[in-house]
Amino acid sequence: MAINIGPPQAEVRRAQGFALSFNQRRYLAAALLLLPVILLRLFTSFYPFAQTILLAFQEYNPAFPPREYVGLQNFYKLSTDMVVTSSVEFTLIFVFGSTLFQVVLGILVASLLNAKFRLRNLARTINLIPWAIPMVVAAVGWRWLFDGNYGMIPDLLSRIGIEYDWLIDPTGARIAVLIVSIWKSTPFVAVTLLAGLQGVPEELYEAAKVDGANALQSFWRITIPLIMPLMVTIGMYMLVWQLAVFDLPFTMTAGGPGFATSVLAYKIYQEITTLNYGYASAISVVMFGIVGAIGALGLIVFRRVQLSL
Amino acid sequence: MSEKKGLSRREFLKASGAAAAVAAAPKLYVPPLINRRRQNTVVMRQQPFAWDAINAVLPEFEEATGLTVLLEPGVSSGVDHLTEVTTAYAAGDSPWDVVSDSDESGPVLARAGWLMPLDDVIPQETWDDFPPIMLDALDLWHRYDGATYRIPHEFAIAYFFYRKDIFDERGLQVPTTWEEMLEVGLQLTDRDNGVYATQDSLTRNGLMFVYCAYLACQTNGQIFEFDDGTAMALHLLYNMMHTLKIFPETALNDVYDQQNENYMNDKVMFMRQWPYFQSVAEANTAWYNPDKVAIAVPPAGRPGPGSWWGGWGWTIPTFAPNPDGAKELIKFITSPEIVPRLAEGQSWFNMPRTSILNYFEGKPNPVLEAMGMYAAAGVPRPRPFHARGAEAQTVVDDIASLYLTKQETLLNALKLGKERMADLG
Repeated sequence: MAINIGPPQAEVRRAQGFALSFNQRRYLAAALLLLPVILLRLFTSFYPFAQTILLAFQEYNPAFPPREYVGLQNFYKLSTDMVVTSSVEFTLIFVFGSTLFQVVLGILVASLLNAKFRLRNLARTINLIPWAIPMVVAAVGWRWLFDGNYGMIPDLLSRIGIEYDWLIDPTGARIAVLIVSIWKSTPFVAVTLLAGLQGVPEELYEAAKVDGANALQSFWRITIPLIMPLMVTIGMYMLVWQLAVFDLPFTMTAGGPGFATSVLAYKIYQEITTLNYGYASAISVVMFGIVGAIGALGLIVFRRVQLSL
Repeated sequence: MSEKKGLSRREFLKASGAAAAVAAAPKLYVPPLINRRRQNTVVMRQQPFAWDAINAVLPEFEEATGLTVLLEPGVSSGVDHLTEVTTAYAAGDSPWDVVSDSDESGPVLARAGWLMPLDDVIPQETWDDFPPIMLDALDLWHRYDGATYRIPHEFAIAYFFYRKDIFDERGLQVPTTWEEMLEVGLQLTDRDNGVYATQDSLTRNGLMFVYCAYLACQTNGQIFEFDDGTAMALHLLYNMMHTLKIFPETALNDVYDQQNENYMNDKVMFMRQWPYFQSVAEANTAWYNPDKVAIAVPPAGRPGPGSWWGGWGWTIPTFAPNPDGAKELIKFITSPEIVPRLAEGQSWFNMPRTSILNYFEGKPNPVLEAMGMYAAAGVPRPRPFHARGAEAQTVVDDIASLYLTKQETLLNALKLGKERMADLG
């Protein structure tokens, strides 16, 4: 008589029923490994986002209770708040204006840096210096350059008979902020586009030359179309990135004169510092909507560019 | 067979896991170092310019209590201070036990429940040391719902500093009215050489509010109501800046350091400034002499001379790690025995408290002397109050800036100001 020293057959079958296949074990391990990151991401991104949406419909200032649901009242208030409307206006001017100049100048700088000349690598390195400077440092430096008392720029202009207080005049202050933004980020755009230019086959230019095309025609007919997807990508990136600008106007002009250079992020900051969490959240939701709309627009443009190529 | 190079996947995972465990270990186990430290220490948030004065008295406290006091730097702007502390308090935390709180932050933080009541901390003999003018302001600025949350340690009134040496040299009298100020201003201004009669700092982080409120209290105006007195004050400032050009337009971007530098570079002949400027001027030994920093009663507007006063005070955050130690420290640094020594170390701590006045009797102290002169002339006015102080100040900053940069007419600016104040409630 054979002696059964193993587990009963029923137990073996039950155990086999619960056993995971190799693939299932892999997926489970992957899920367990990913879980901490997913939880962390949910906690740090989704929770604040959901909380912001919730707060946008509440009147909440811890110094002035109670916290209560007010429906769309915060959104109505911001639609009539002239600081918010002015901030939206300058935010859009800033974002589209600076991105346009950054991309256009970026192409020109990238073309220069792509040309063959001595010390080209040095020139490429020097080009990156503005981008490497922290924005707050750059803003303080430029604030002094534009300063009406001690600034180099008003001083140089006064020598040719132009007296102008850049940071006092609303238009001048806006232009000054734009100039700094363009100066600061054009090198980054240029380096990105330079990577694209280096991928354009040299044979195309040689063929165009044989066909009688001049440099400008080659640039328009070959260079621009071939780096267009990259231009759109970097353009969209800069648009969305710069929508959240805060440090530059905060440091350089504190949103002034009046609120000529106030941006949405600065207004949100002001409301948060005075504990108006509900109203600040409502403005944040509007800002999220603007970022989303511009991002969606970018995707559409990007797909069209890809399709046309 | 080629020799295997590098790490296998298993080895890599093992090494990564070990590294992560080593990195995470200190985070998982937080030794109670902080708590142990908190039991024996009191952390005080205070502007660095006052550290020397405080450090001079702390050894006595530390010896008597066995506690160690650590000083952490604070900021000079009340609005910026509010920004920094709310981040911690809103999270239910406080790195500090004792905080020097501003007029902008104190009332708001007390309403939010983020400050501890201090009524049982201050003995009656300390309150008896305060003058009526400061006690009268307690209800508005330092108390909420019947409890005291902030103990004042400063009496900040803006002074009218002027260049007595230059006034004497040119045979000019100190202006006593706005009209005289404009007349004298025209005589003192030399724009070709960058010399202006007067200036202030008009940036939009509360400094614009300070000067506009200073002018408005000389007209009995209520700055937060954007009333007729406020209109007169803004109109005067506009005239000085744009019509008579005795006040530089660039002041719209100047902060106090620039204003002080302009004064000490002989580019400004008279100005409103806080008492701390006395110490700044004295520290500039190559330039200073008492006639360059004389103090006079400010030129009077319609009802008479005026200058508002306010000040910072000690608080204990609700979430202070060592509230008992904090109470002991506040009791110590507000006592009549200690405050004169603080005032001697830093003019910021000058107050018209009996103990301070007695201590300096017969000793030179230009700020206290000016305080007496201002009190006799009826200059001090209460700081304009609004429960949402920082927001109300921002409205003033915005509206005055719109008008002074010619983006709005005076009438429109006042209308906008009233609307925004109405929104605040």
